[in-house]
Amino acid sequence: MFQNRAEALALALPAVVFAAVVFLVPVGILLSEGFRMEGAWSLSAYVDFFSKPLNQTVFWRTLKLGAMVTAVSAVIGYATAYAIVTLPPTARGRMIGLVVMPLMISPVARTYAWIVILGRTGFVNQVIVGLGLSDTPVRFLFTETAVFIGLLQLFLPLMILSLISALENMPRDAVPAARVLGANWLQVFLKVILPLTREGLVIGGTLVFTGSLTAYITPAILGGSKVLMLETLLYQRVTVANDFASASIIAMILIVMSFSANMLLKRLATARNRR
Amino acid sequence: MLRRTLAAGVALCAFTAPSLAADDKLVISVYGFAQDAFKEIVYDPFEKICGCELVVETGNSVERLAKLEARKDDPEIDMAVMSTHDALSAARKGITQSIDVSKLSNFDKLYDIAKDPLGDHLGIGYTFYATSIAYRADKVKIESWSDLFQDDLKGRVAFPNVTTNQGPPALYMLGKAMGDDAPSLSAPIAEVGANKDDILTFYVRSSQVAQLMQQEEILAAPIGRFAWGAYPKMDMNIAWATPKEGQTGGMNVMILTKGAKNEDLAYQFMDYWLSTEIQTKLAEALVDSPANAEVKVSDEVAANLTYGEETVKNLHLLPPAVILDNRETWLAEWNDKVGQ
Repeated sequence: MFQNRAEALALALPAVVFAAVVFLVPVGILLSEGFRMEGAWSLSAYVDFFSKPLNQTVFWRTLKLGAMVTAVSAVIGYATAYAIVTLPPTARGRMIGLVVMPLMISPVARTYAWIVILGRTGFVNQVIVGLGLSDTPVRFLFTETAVFIGLLQLFLPLMILSLISALENMPRDAVPAARVLGANWLQVFLKVILPLTREGLVIGGTLVFTGSLTAYITPAILGGSKVLMLETLLYQRVTVANDFASASIIAMILIVMSFSANMLLKRLATARNRR
Repeated sequence: MLRRTLAAGVALCAFTAPSLAADDKLVISVYGFAQDAFKEIVYDPFEKICGCELVVETGNSVERLAKLEARKDDPEIDMAVMSTHDALSAARKGITQSIDVSKLSNFDKLYDIAKDPLGDHLGIGYTFYATSIAYRADKVKIESWSDLFQDDLKGRVAFPNVTTNQGPPALYMLGKAMGDDAPSLSAPIAEVGANKDDILTFYVRSSQVAQLMQQEEILAAPIGRFAWGAYPKMDMNIAWATPKEGQTGGMNVMILTKGAKNEDLAYQFMDYWLSTEIQTKLAEALVDSPANAEVKVSDEVAANLTYGEETVKNLHLLPPAVILDNRETWLAEWNDKVGQ
């Protein structure tokens, strides 16, 4: 047994050393930079960071867009996933294929497509002007709306897939049983579907929220410097100002936000379960 | 088992350890842009002439500057090219040394503004570009930098972000148009801030402007002449403005690192790059506008470059020291007035 253990450790050693040297140590050094001020440990860099109005705006905007994208993708995701799981197997397979397809296309290509669609002469504006909803084309590009739409399209498939697998694991008779017993659709959703699929919602929600927080290409292309998010701000601080201290603070904020979102979603799911 | 793993690790380390520098190896650090053309026109022919190995490192200015600084005491890079203000920043950090211009046979052929832009021959200009406004001549009229904020351009103009190389010079010219060209740029930054809702975006890449122009999202934008090549091809009536305040721009320089291991090769390479032959070829390929005044190109090529004594003389360039000393203040002011 001991011999096996030593061998197992020896086998794992190169991977552990590799991960430690090229990942854990550099990340540790980078993150610790935000806690150092003139050679001493201090939180003042964080205080400075949050005292700047621009940084506050960017922080709240990132949080707001992340939450909105997660919430809207959950609503659309439940409807789509429920519709898909009720289909016969062949059709279901095809629909899942359609959901997965955008994930195979590079986010850069998908985001550039939105520039064309949302532009002044793009499809959306042609419809708006054509229907007489507005005399002049509406400005979508380089606004929060454009970033929201881009992020939603980017991450919605992850939510749908998580919810499909959760709904497939739900007992088939649960919904008909609840309906027979007189529950309306809202009650069915809140009291039957939601508790039974909470794991899928937590996984999907975490993927979508963290994805929205850490996406760089979409906010960079559709928002630009007028709609700075934490990711694009981080890039600006490093490449323009060579300011690694602010960058490490932003990285830390993003990590904390991602973990908190995951914990919060788990807490919400279990709280509902206990009731 | 453990011993075998360790042995494998040691072998791996030995394998990846840097090989010792060859004597006849020149290491240069350049912008990532147009490297295919540079390889064909400059690097490959030079390697044949010098019988040496040319190692080319590329990247953006911040990365390359950070690398030069990190290896200050034991430089691996012999010569580099960067913007005048980045070169001045490198000089102030003690990374570079004065260039002995007597070793450059082509030095006297350069335009005067390229000969010593940093002082003490800390950098030699090898190319420059004008920055002015590209605009749709069929839709608007641009005769001054302040015409960017006319009613017809509301929501239809892109302006360079202050963090780009085009940003500060464009602000400087806007300041001139407003009658306040103080290096603090606070008047033009405030003006841009007051009009920010009418500016579609603050761009960070020149290629982005070409796309927005093509899609008719914008009708005008200040751009560098180096990016102009894409516009005449668009089959739209796009013109290069000659505002009454003049044009601005920027210059790139060659620098020699302090303690360069292959100084002689670096001099030979710089001289080669500045020669009339190479500067002409780079101009004809529309890669870089020539700093060598002897270069002659066709009218068609000249139209796509920043070319000719008259053009060069009338460029209002921001002095590199002004850029370097004010950059942080500009960014803070910009974030305050425009970035919110």
